[in-house]
Amino acid sequence: MRDDLRLLYLLIVYDIHKIMRYKVFILMRVAWFSVQVGFFAYLISHIVGQRFGGELTYYHFYLLGAYTSILFTVSMFRGYETAQEFEEGLIEYMLSLPIKRKILAIGRILGGSIASFILTLPMMLIVLFLLGAFDLFSISLAMASAMIFSIGIVSLSISLVFLIKSGDATDITFGILDSLLVRLSTVFYPAIILLSFIPYYYVSSVNPLSYLADFLRWIFYPQELSKYLINNPMNLAFFIIGFATSMLVLATIFIEKKIEGGGWK
Amino acid sequence: MINIRNISIIISRDLQRFWKYRWWLAGLITMNLADLFIFALLFNNMVRRDLIPNYFLFIATGIAAIASFASAFSIGREVGVEIRRNYTQYLLSLPLSRIELAFGRILSGTVRGLIYQTPFIILLFILIDLPSPLQIIYILIASTLLSTTMSSISIAVSTATRNFDMQATLRSFTYFILFFISNVFYPDALIRQRFPGVLYNIAYYNPVSLTVSLFRIIFKIYATPPSGYSELHIIMYLAIWALISMFMGGYLYIRNLEK
Repeated sequence: MRDDLRLLYLLIVYDIHKIMRYKVFILMRVAWFSVQVGFFAYLISHIVGQRFGGELTYYHFYLLGAYTSILFTVSMFRGYETAQEFEEGLIEYMLSLPIKRKILAIGRILGGSIASFILTLPMMLIVLFLLGAFDLFSISLAMASAMIFSIGIVSLSISLVFLIKSGDATDITFGILDSLLVRLSTVFYPAIILLSFIPYYYVSSVNPLSYLADFLRWIFYPQELSKYLINNPMNLAFFIIGFATSMLVLATIFIEKKIEGGGWK
Repeated sequence: MINIRNISIIISRDLQRFWKYRWWLAGLITMNLADLFIFALLFNNMVRRDLIPNYFLFIATGIAAIASFASAFSIGREVGVEIRRNYTQYLLSLPLSRIELAFGRILSGTVRGLIYQTPFIILLFILIDLPSPLQIIYILIASTLLSTTMSSISIAVSTATRNFDMQATLRSFTYFILFFISNVFYPDALIRQRFPGVLYNIAYYNPVSLTVSLFRIIFKIYATPPSGYSELHIIMYLAIWALISMFMGGYLYIRNLEK
């Protein structure tokens, strides 16, 4: 058990260390996220008529959605990395190490989600600064929920890579998933707007992005935004935890079975 | 002396490769259609009618311009792969002049942009109205010039480095800057009001914005060009963009191939 925990720790540290390779990537992401929230979000909030009570405008509403979508994209990116590691033979090397499959799967998923969270930390700080949200409890709760959400998405993306088993197909599938899931969620619009197109509403009501975006909105604006959420705050929290746990278990089982089935391709 | 036949061979080969990326194209189409039939339809219920009476049609013109922009950008992806895999010596050994090679690649991107954009333009005809023959010619010229500009910029950006991550990051960065700092999502008047001065000029004279403005003037979708502007003014600016970027893109492509 102790050895397992040590190996788990080493795998997590391995993924976190890899962040150092992405200095330019982080800088560019931060730059275009700044353009997204400083130019796009600012202007688009001026064409939106919807008011959210009090001093809140669409700008406040959208900022937390923008953070959710960037965390989703960065977490999904772990899937590309896994595909690349397969193509480079790195996964096969890891399989030859004296590490249990289950520990390897959990370690890479947790490492990947912590790394994704760290990569998006500058964006979260920008959003918190723009919102003027400095309450420590709210920030801690937001960080914890973002971290749990990321575990779910990393598990999902790694499972998909094992299912698809092709670098190119992974690239396309993730691109399509990204564009559809972000738009069919409450990232851009409140749940009441989605109700005007029932099929869109149904998809968004089972879309994990809706749950994190709305949970973050509830954390920072519980009074003003509560009637615009897709579900009640307790259900939002349980959905995020349930999604992350089920995806983690599913990915672990999936990795064990698929790897034993003969690896990549 | 430029041999047109050599350039046409490069274009036809690049076009054959374009169809190989069927899945990439499917992803791109999904993204553009999701912007139109999900984002624009839903957002239409939130937008102030006094500013934009029909946001769906407003975005539709933007998506049509973005379509040519995105697919013309695909040539940069391939040029980047060639540089990374040291395919460059082979390309330089072909019985073509450097100029033919560079312009062939740039024009390949242009043709791709035009082919991909055509269904989106037809969609505008269906959703809004059929413009006059002269206006259709304007649309064709503007799309060609925008595709040439984007093809040249993406080739220049992709050959700047051999590192895959850097290539992808630089391309995405350029793409998002041109995409967000444009009038695709918001009217020019609002940009001018909220970001007067340099930023407004950057947004307005961005080639994507110029094309979108032209489409909005032609389809009568709430375009507010500066007074005295006509379709020909916009085409002139697009031509300047295309010429400068074509020469810069071609020069950088050859310089980086020969490194």
